[in-house]
Amino acid sequence: MNILETKDLHHDFSGLKVLFGIDLQVEEGERHAVIGPNGAGKTTLFNTITGTYHPSKGKVFFKGKDITGYKPHKLARIGMGRSFQITSTFTRLTAFQNIRLAILAKHGIRFNLFRYVDKMKDITRETEIMLERVNLINERNVPAGLLSYGKSRALEISMAMATDPELILLDEFAAGMSRDETHNAVAMIRKMTEGKTVVIIEHDMDVVFSLADRITVLHYGKILATGKPDDIRDNQDVKDAYLGDLHV
Amino acid sequence: MMKKIIKPILWLALLVILIFFPKLFGIYYTNVFVTFAIFATYAVAVNVLLGYTGLLSFGHAMFFGFGGYGTALALKHIDGIALMPAIGIGFLAAMLLALVLAPVVTRVSGTAFAMVHLAFGQLFYILALKLRNITGGEDGIGNFPIPAFTIPGLISFPMKGDPVNFFYLAMVLLGISLWLMWFFTKTPFGQIQVGIRDNEKRIDYLGYKIPQTKAIIYVVSGAFTGLAGSLYGLFHNLVSADGSLGAMISFSPIIAAMVGGVGSFFGPIWGTAVFQVIEELTHRFTDRVELVMGVTLILVVMFAPSGIMGFVNTMKMKWHAYTASKAKMEKTS
Ligand SMILES: Nc1ncnc2c1ncn2[C@@H]1O[C@H](COP(=O)(O)OP(=O)(O)OP(=O)(O)O)[C@@H](O)[C@H]1O
Ligand SMILES: [Mg+2]
Repeated sequence: MNILETKDLHHDFSGLKVLFGIDLQVEEGERHAVIGPNGAGKTTLFNTITGTYHPSKGKVFFKGKDITGYKPHKLARIGMGRSFQITSTFTRLTAFQNIRLAILAKHGIRFNLFRYVDKMKDITRETEIMLERVNLINERNVPAGLLSYGKSRALEISMAMATDPELILLDEFAAGMSRDETHNAVAMIRKMTEGKTVVIIEHDMDVVFSLADRITVLHYGKILATGKPDDIRDNQDVKDAYLGDLHV
Repeated sequence: MMKKIIKPILWLALLVILIFFPKLFGIYYTNVFVTFAIFATYAVAVNVLLGYTGLLSFGHAMFFGFGGYGTALALKHIDGIALMPAIGIGFLAAMLLALVLAPVVTRVSGTAFAMVHLAFGQLFYILALKLRNITGGEDGIGNFPIPAFTIPGLISFPMKGDPVNFFYLAMVLLGISLWLMWFFTKTPFGQIQVGIRDNEKRIDYLGYKIPQTKAIIYVVSGAFTGLAGSLYGLFHNLVSADGSLGAMISFSPIIAAMVGGVGSFFGPIWGTAVFQVIEELTHRFTDRVELVMGVTLILVVMFAPSGIMGFVNTMKMKWHAYTASKAKMEKTS
């Protein structure tokens, strides 16, 4: 079954056409990579799926339901989570407080004005377990804005996963990470997303081919090819348009 | 460990000082302190929006005024109303105003939010001047009856012309207000609030509804501002357009919050204290209090842009980051 599907999705920014009829299909439980050159429209695709923008034409289906035009908070509540290409954390809150906001959201604790949040032991424990799993426990009390680049990226992706969504969209999670950091992040994502559906946008082909079950190639706002990694590697169109210059 | 012992001792000391304040410092300073406490609570209520949620209102005097006029009108027109219900009416009037405005104003932020409030604030200022037969126009409502604080059959403390009794009443009510607002910042809701300040987009993506969250904070801020306004009216036994609804009434808590530090709960209290002291000292030499305050604000913005408490907190954060990196260094070496 497809957990996520877009049908004839279009988007333009006041005249500048960016997406031209995208039919993306993501199967439940798979790790799907969206690749393509800079400016292909990958982030815009995420933004139209997750409610940042209302697509100018077409539909988005999540778990069989038409969710076109749903706002981010509504999508979050029905099991969609995402991370951002440009780190988007709560810079003045500590790593712990950042993750805790995601854990509170996961439990639907929103308008509680009656309890000390610091005294909610279950929440604290769950947050700390999460910090340990993503290797941020030493940075527990450091404001997100003062974390090193690699650590702040780790925080960025762990916030997307901490709400425990069924579908996780990660936009270039490894962007700017060192070799080692990328390696750790891949292992972490593998471990934390077991049994879930993941869509990643990624430029690093080592990451793509080691992580993805299926790949969709986006080129100038259109899907060039979709398939298993081996098929994509051998696809002549993809080689000509994109992979050719990357020497995979 | 030390912190755990020192903190309660400090609070206890503060409590003791407050209890003996009128005896220790006399009527004049008791009244100065009531003014300070009212404006400090008001500044904290403004900062719940400004510092904790990133919403700057240029018209909070309308809540201050609603509280004052609500209480004054109740005492003037409702026969035999007791003191606490009258204060409650002021509180509720401001809360109601916030509830009515919330659906509109929480859809905007930044400059639009500030400007909409400037407009509403001025609107109510003008209304208070125009609706003479209700508000008393320029003269305002003065010398309205102020009943004693009574618990039937137990106690009765006269309030009118008794600044010491009023001091205790104000301290209790303002103390409870401050504690409640502080408590809210420590709840899960308070965390969402600071999340909105730091990054609205991410809050949305975590599944929190932003307008609703802002609306609740807005109502809390408006209601406690109303309570401060109510006490201010009782304190002077007068509410007037200039005294309770004027533009300066909107600006002064913002300035106090900025000087004390908007990023901290207690910052606005320190800021109010600084201004109160400056005002007291300046008055001895000149009437140009605003001038001295303006210069103070400029100095703070230039040399400690996040206020007194902001400066302290930045140092704390740097210390945390430093110890974390040091711990890592020791591990690797
Ligand atoms: N908010 C916006 N307003 C106007 N144009 C935009 C906006 N966002 C993206 N674009 C344009 O849309 C096109 C696709 O951008 P998008 O960010 O989706 O590309 P991408 O595939 O994610 O690229 P990259 O690999 O560099 O992240 C680009 O030409 C970009 O300039
Ligand atoms: Mg992108």
